Amino acid sequence: MNSLLRYGGAFVLLIALQLLIFNNIEFSGYVNPFVYLMFILILPVSIPSWILLLLSFFTGFVIDLFSGTLGVHAFATVLAGFVRPWVLSLNVTAEAAETEMSPSSYRSGLRWFLIYTVTIVFVHHLALFFVEIFSLRHFLHTVLRVLLSTAVTSFFIVLFDFIRSRR
Amino acid sequence: MRSLLYFLLRFKTLILFLVLEAVALIMITTSHNYHETVLYGVSRNISGFVAERVEKGTYYFRLRDVNEELVTENTMLKKRLAELTSGSQEGFIPMHDSVSGANYTYLNARVISNSVNKQKNFITLDRGSKHGVAVGMGVASPSGVVGVVVGVSRNYSVVMSLLNTDFRLSASIARNDYFGSLAWDGTNYRYTRLSEIPHHVAVNEGDTIVTSGYSAIFPAGLMTGTLTGKQKKGGDFVSLEVLLSADFKKLTDVYVIGNLTKDEREDLEKEVLQ
Repeated sequence: MNSLLRYGGAFVLLIALQLLIFNNIEFSGYVNPFVYLMFILILPVSIPSWILLLLSFFTGFVIDLFSGTLGVHAFATVLAGFVRPWVLSLNVTAEAAETEMSPSSYRSGLRWFLIYTVTIVFVHHLALFFVEIFSLRHFLHTVLRVLLSTAVTSFFIVLFDFIRSRR
Repeated sequence: MRSLLYFLLRFKTLILFLVLEAVALIMITTSHNYHETVLYGVSRNISGFVAERVEKGTYYFRLRDVNEELVTENTMLKKRLAELTSGSQEGFIPMHDSVSGANYTYLNARVISNSVNKQKNFITLDRGSKHGVAVGMGVASPSGVVGVVVGVSRNYSVVMSLLNTDFRLSASIARNDYFGSLAWDGTNYRYTRLSEIPHHVAVNEGDTIVTSGYSAIFPAGLMTGTLTGKQKKGGDFVSLEVLLSADFKKLTDVYVIGNLTKDEREDLEKEVLQ
């Protein structure tokens, strides 16, 4: 019950941050941070993969509803939710995967958390920006958007994770 | 049957993944009418409500820019007024041209949500069907063309921005009246392209680009942007880079433009074409 409340709170907070602040920040058209993705990253390690997928879809769908991009974010978040167990299994030992723990730099080290975050954020942004433009027109421009936004989104997620574990 | 069940259980994650991605793709491909759907009406009313409150807070910080823009427009209008009244003193009676001038009505509106960083940008205004806004009306700021209304709810309306890769505007070079199609390529929010201009047309850096008036949405001669001098050749035509006169990052107050005789004009054009 306690953890349900905690993750519900994190969901509302991250969605609000995204819609009210990060959707309004824009540096030069190349950098669009999507920090709401942090919600999918911090779900417990032991979460069943089908619940993870449904939650990913729901998260993307809510963002889509409020930004008028129906389906675009949902597509990218479902892909992110799908690759998450694989990225985790590359780095987490079997006994750790049994626990209720939420992936964080506090428990597993900054280096580990950074690799984990950047990989999933990159997959998400790659899908997002290419689905948004829906063509290979301006290919290099889109790749640049993906790379720069991945860096900035990852930075904010690691920062928020740091704040979270300090408390 | 049992083996089918076993198969489904074994691959349940993969199957769920594929189903969800398919649902997302279907939503993407069928969503070009999204702005007219009931679902969007609901979310627009919620997000409009939130955005309106946020906008009220941040509007204060942009007052300087807003004032400057209004002063510029006032000066221009005063100049026009002086021209018209001085004309009448010399014995001319100012007449409204019923073909181009008096057919348009203007309604002021406030931008409550806007973006410039997507491929398909939309703007939300605090005016809706209650105030007489309808789909297909043009939207302009004091400094230039902004977009076209694509969705309306009771209190809010959504505008397809000029910064939307689906948007096409018929525009012409003010100096020589050659017209082409203005479209955004999705890269820089300050620049757009005027294509389909023949090779032989002489253009200068700084030439003014205005609406052509060939569609019933905007009156002719509405300021849109200026040429930067950069051009791209392709086939029989050149496409010219245009610096937009409206700064989409600073949009606050805009006008919704209604055409009083739009239906009449479109009916006639349809009738002749059939």
